[in-house]
Amino acid sequence: MNTHEDLPTIITDLEEAMTQGTQTAVIESPSGQVPPALPGNRPGTIVAGGIRRLGRGLGPGIIVPLVFLLGLIAAAVIPSVLAPSGPLDMNPAEAFTAPGAAHWFGTDESGRDVFSRVIHGARSSLLIGVLATAIGLGLAVVLGAVAGLGTRAVDFGVSRFLEVLFAFPGLLLALLVITILGPGVVTTTIAVGLSAAPGYARMIRSQVRSVRGSGYVEASIVQGRSRAFIIRHHILPNVAAPLFVLGTLGVGQAIVWASSLSFLGLGATPPDPEWGSMLSLGRLYIGNAWWLTVFPGLFIVLSAATTTLLGHGIQRKLKDK
Amino acid sequence: MKNRQPAYRDETASSSRSADSPLATSTRNLKKRVPFAFAALGAVLALSACGGAVHADSASGPTGEPVSGGTLVYATGDTEPACLDPIVSGNVPQALVSTQYLEPLFFQDEKGEIGPWLAKDWKWSKDRLALDITVRQDVHFTDGQQLNAETIVENVAYIKDPQTLSSTGILAVEKVASVEKIGEFTARLHLSEPDNALLEHFAQVWVPIQSQKALARGAEANCLSPVGTGPFKVESWSKQQEVVLTRNDEYHTPSPAAGHAGPAYLEKIVWRFLPDHAARFAALQSREVDVIDVLQPQNAVAADADPALDTLIGSRPGHVVNLTFNTTTGPLTDVRVREAFVRSVDVNAALKSIFMSTVPRSNSVLSSITKFNRQNPEAYSTDVDKANRLLDEAGWTERDSEGYRTKDGQRLSTTVIQNDSILVPVSVLEQFQNSAKAVGFELIISQEEPASFNARRYAWEYGLSPLYYTKNSPSVLNIVYDSSHIPSVIKGGYHANNNGLIGSSANDIDKALRLAATTGNEKQRGQQYAKAQQLVDAQYLSLPIFDQQTRLGFRSDVEGVALLSPLGMPTFYDTWLDRS
Repeated sequence: MNTHEDLPTIITDLEEAMTQGTQTAVIESPSGQVPPALPGNRPGTIVAGGIRRLGRGLGPGIIVPLVFLLGLIAAAVIPSVLAPSGPLDMNPAEAFTAPGAAHWFGTDESGRDVFSRVIHGARSSLLIGVLATAIGLGLAVVLGAVAGLGTRAVDFGVSRFLEVLFAFPGLLLALLVITILGPGVVTTTIAVGLSAAPGYARMIRSQVRSVRGSGYVEASIVQGRSRAFIIRHHILPNVAAPLFVLGTLGVGQAIVWASSLSFLGLGATPPDPEWGSMLSLGRLYIGNAWWLTVFPGLFIVLSAATTTLLGHGIQRKLKDK
Repeated sequence: MKNRQPAYRDETASSSRSADSPLATSTRNLKKRVPFAFAALGAVLALSACGGAVHADSASGPTGEPVSGGTLVYATGDTEPACLDPIVSGNVPQALVSTQYLEPLFFQDEKGEIGPWLAKDWKWSKDRLALDITVRQDVHFTDGQQLNAETIVENVAYIKDPQTLSSTGILAVEKVASVEKIGEFTARLHLSEPDNALLEHFAQVWVPIQSQKALARGAEANCLSPVGTGPFKVESWSKQQEVVLTRNDEYHTPSPAAGHAGPAYLEKIVWRFLPDHAARFAALQSREVDVIDVLQPQNAVAADADPALDTLIGSRPGHVVNLTFNTTTGPLTDVRVREAFVRSVDVNAALKSIFMSTVPRSNSVLSSITKFNRQNPEAYSTDVDKANRLLDEAGWTERDSEGYRTKDGQRLSTTVIQNDSILVPVSVLEQFQNSAKAVGFELIISQEEPASFNARRYAWEYGLSPLYYTKNSPSVLNIVYDSSHIPSVIKGGYHANNNGLIGSSANDIDKALRLAATTGNEKQRGQQYAKAQQLVDAQYLSLPIFDQQTRLGFRSDVEGVALLSPLGMPTFYDTWLDRS
């Protein structure tokens, strides 16, 4: 599973992948004209190309998580269509009903339908996962680019700063942020994003530095290209592909972190149906009503595993290329 | 235990809630339906005609003679005390542990009757402004200091010293103006006005009698190792981990409710702090600990199904676990809105579902085991139609886009603060939130850490707050509802229990409470407390939910576990380990 403990391994994998063959050079003609970019040189085309390539060699290892992910997205977009009742609809008379035909995942201590709450919980979990990853990656691109393109002193400063942040385990950093900002879904999203940023930033910095030292960038500098031009035409296209992989892997990790924080009572507030907080409450009844922990837990595991499998799938495809 | 003559009772009678059925909610091992026994036993039967402790035996009963020795590991789910001396502050976590090593002057049985303990005699003056207390002459504290009149003088002085930061204790001796020694073993207490609850106060473990030599060390040292006359003494305290108590081998002052004489059977008690409910119960199941408290309803159900585990549940006296309304601000200043909230929620449904029917409903602000409690189910029953009618009358007639009622553009909304240590789980509040929404009343739940919970409570930053106040006297009403206590948030104190009601209704309540506290006529005392409860009910100052309870789960080879009157705290004086 893609938890924060796995992060160093993922980082190593990715760094390896990046240095092995995901770099794409934009070769400039002596006249200074930039030829049409090769397919896959721009973020949009890389993604589209990646999906096309994926489509050609899909195995069950990709299809199953993809289908599950699409299901989750559907749950996040149209929960009311998929869930038989509202996430907050109570019926104390039916409390602790075991899973069955009437309630697929059983009911909780207030008689709320667990299946409906899990479905409705997909939205907040996915949203936190995606937004937190976006925050983390966004911040990482800025930090990584500053370090990778800056002077030696700037690189040194940013790198040491990242190392200091690395000294804190990600979840601890998130706890620190929540202690300062206060609990809640928005805070959790920001906290998870900020905590993931140092890991991403270090990878992006090394990628940027490697591209920066390449012959085509040197050629571009000799030709007097502006820094903005170089970033736009050389650096970003080369960073985009690993960023996409990183993002896919990061979503799963962010979901787990966000759930962990909610589990600790620092994320979603009651009675919001959030998987982590459902798991936390269900834990009290683990000896009496196993379904209160098993189903939210299963969805946390499956959503994290899904995005991780997809991320690794994409990573393999890029490696193959 | 040999020669036990347990008084059996049917646990199904636990719904009986009159003052005549003390500890009515005490149950043990519901599923096995093994009744519990009162403590008036065997050789000490004659000494303990009125009983006073709820005991539990294993389903099969003890297999033989009590065995001396062994270590009992107790895991509490309550918070760790900041001080082991219950004079400082004065709360339930302190009472739980200090019942094992401190003892008060008087014993109060489950009928509310006062009897001797460390005091052997007492006498009121005619004007009831002076009380002479004579203590036993054969008692020494565990530091060797002898109990005498000087001890009482020093103990009261210690409580009244502002440096001590007493909360519960200082309210208990509020009416004691001075104390003088009038004999080697007799002290005279001079009162500023008669106080009907004074003897009850001196029967609490929050007003224990401690060695004057130990008190002279100062509050800081005394907090770490208070010295009393109890069956155990404090050996060490590793903060955030455990308190170790060892047997007092010279012990000879058991309460009238005790099951034997002489030193305790257990050699040692390790008192651990395990606040996580699931982890605590798991520790009990895995034999890591022998006894746990704050046993959750779902765990009580599981323990009843497990032959290796037993349960002992008993009510505590005082102000019940309730949601207290802040009447000083917002829509809750209107009694109609307060009643509408009470009428909109279904407490019974919450107790049946979340508490799995293991906790009976309270329809009184006073606990079912507190003298003069007056159950008023009519006032606190669910009536959604009436809730809607009351809110219409109060002018909350418009609705906003989310279906909540509004008045002058303001939404009908209030906030309840919550912390698990106050015994009302967030899931109960979620049910109330849901019911209140159905009548257009928004209830916002704000989960707080213990520190922020207390900070918000002291600053009156809430609409509703779960509260309780443990006290072995109907005079708990004087603390909670007398308007003179509104500004009296005692520095370092634990409770600021009042709702802030002012005006003519508050005056009527004050009048009844003050008369009840000072009258020399017991019947009038009862009438005035009944009247005060009636007025409190009519003002909807709180929503009573259930009696506070001591809820123990323990290994079935732990014999002689009991709850001691009057506070219903666990006592391990008679406890022994049947592990031969």
